[in-house]
Amino acid sequence: MNKITLAKKIAFYIILVILWQTISMSDIWPNNIFPSPYEVGEDLAYMASDGSLFFGIGTTILRLIVGLAIAIAGGIVLGVLMARIETINQTIGSLVLGLQSIPSIAWVPLAILWFGLTDTGIIFVTAIGAMFAVTINTYTGIKNIDPHYVEAARNMGAKGTQLITSVLLPAAFPYMISGFKQGWAFAWRGVIGAELLFSFLGLGFLLNVGRQLNDVSQVIAIMLVIMLIGMAVDGFIFKKIENKVMSRWGLR
Amino acid sequence: MTKLETKGIVKFFKHDSHNLMALGGVDLEVEDGDFVCLVGPSGCGKSTFLRIIAGLEKPDEGEVIFDGKPVTTTGPERIMVFQEGALFPWLKVQDNVEFGLKMAGIPKEKRSQISKRYLDMMQLTKFADSFTFQLSTGMKQRVAIARALVMDPDVLLMDEPFAALDAQTRDLLLVEMQLIWEKTKKTILFVTHNVAEAAVLGTKVAVFSNRPSKIKKQIPVNFKRPRLAEDENLTGLQQEILAELRPEVKKSQ
Repeated sequence: MNKITLAKKIAFYIILVILWQTISMSDIWPNNIFPSPYEVGEDLAYMASDGSLFFGIGTTILRLIVGLAIAIAGGIVLGVLMARIETINQTIGSLVLGLQSIPSIAWVPLAILWFGLTDTGIIFVTAIGAMFAVTINTYTGIKNIDPHYVEAARNMGAKGTQLITSVLLPAAFPYMISGFKQGWAFAWRGVIGAELLFSFLGLGFLLNVGRQLNDVSQVIAIMLVIMLIGMAVDGFIFKKIENKVMSRWGLR
Repeated sequence: MTKLETKGIVKFFKHDSHNLMALGGVDLEVEDGDFVCLVGPSGCGKSTFLRIIAGLEKPDEGEVIFDGKPVTTTGPERIMVFQEGALFPWLKVQDNVEFGLKMAGIPKEKRSQISKRYLDMMQLTKFADSFTFQLSTGMKQRVAIARALVMDPDVLLMDEPFAALDAQTRDLLLVEMQLIWEKTKKTILFVTHNVAEAAVLGTKVAVFSNRPSKIKKQIPVNFKRPRLAEDENLTGLQQEILAELRPEVKKSQ
């Protein structure tokens, strides 16, 4: 990022906070409905000092990681099967497209009935919301491999599982990384949504507590945290991997 | 001794609703250690012919006979070098070169021993740890050739490997290719649309006719090596090849 872009960004956020402060001071709405940025900051500092914030972040991230890991593993296996076996693509493949259109949050009632109000239920919602994005991108990636890669590999004696792990998956990786990125986005939405409804521990839980206590500044504070974590994961982890993969694969 | 033989290879191309006969019964006999250059009008199916020999495509009729036995699938004794190299971008140069050895389950130490020899031969030692995106087109083709040689195939099948190279790089590789052939004694089938390239490299130049293609003429080349593209005594030969080729190109248009 060049200096001018950075300066523009910083200026934008400063103006935004000043505007927010001005509106909250203008008494259009009472403070318990529209808190000032200072109050939100105070709430954040308080939750940080008693550790509840970090405990909440840790709980949510842990659920996310487990859910996303399951989604990636399952998504890759399903995507490979769809790409390699036409019958699976024609049958399960059509179902995957359908399941992909179900928002993560719509799995919550089923998760509660099946798993009760447990971590397993939340992880289920997180994983199932993310898995099909990984599946579809893995499938598309394998279908779009330059056929010369596969021919060269077969000619040099690669077959079966060897062909899949040493050629198909690495060759499809640029697509798969978009699948992981989408999967992460769905998982992030899914885990927070599930926590809101399941209501124990985690950032979603803290949001819900804020609502129950009529504490608008806590709600906004947690929303900010959710946004910042999301931006950090997108901007650092995925962008870095993507850049590296794109240049190495000669796609940039 | 006949290393490789094709008998009546026929191949149809699917073309909208009708089938187009691309190869109309190609017969070719290749002696052990031959360097056969295949030239022909574009679209005559010479690349397809090479792919059929590699076992990457099936002929509609006819058979490929290797060491007296018919072959229908790919095999490590017939290794293809693709036009664009088809190197794996996720692997370093050395790992690309060792790919076939790894697939064969050869242990790491032995692999690097073997690959070292061919990396040296192709002057790639300095680039062993590079990724392919860091290489020039000429370097990539060197890697592709090293990757094929490592398999120690009896027959090397090269599909216009120098078509994308600039003139200087190509001249260099034309000389090196002759040295590699002399050093390794491989049987080579080399598809090209470049008559000068065929004259420089081949012990024999096979000219394909227009579709449905057959081998129209085989011209032996007996000049001493290393030959250069600008060698004057090759001019006559090039004229001879062109004289066979020109009417076929005309028919194809």
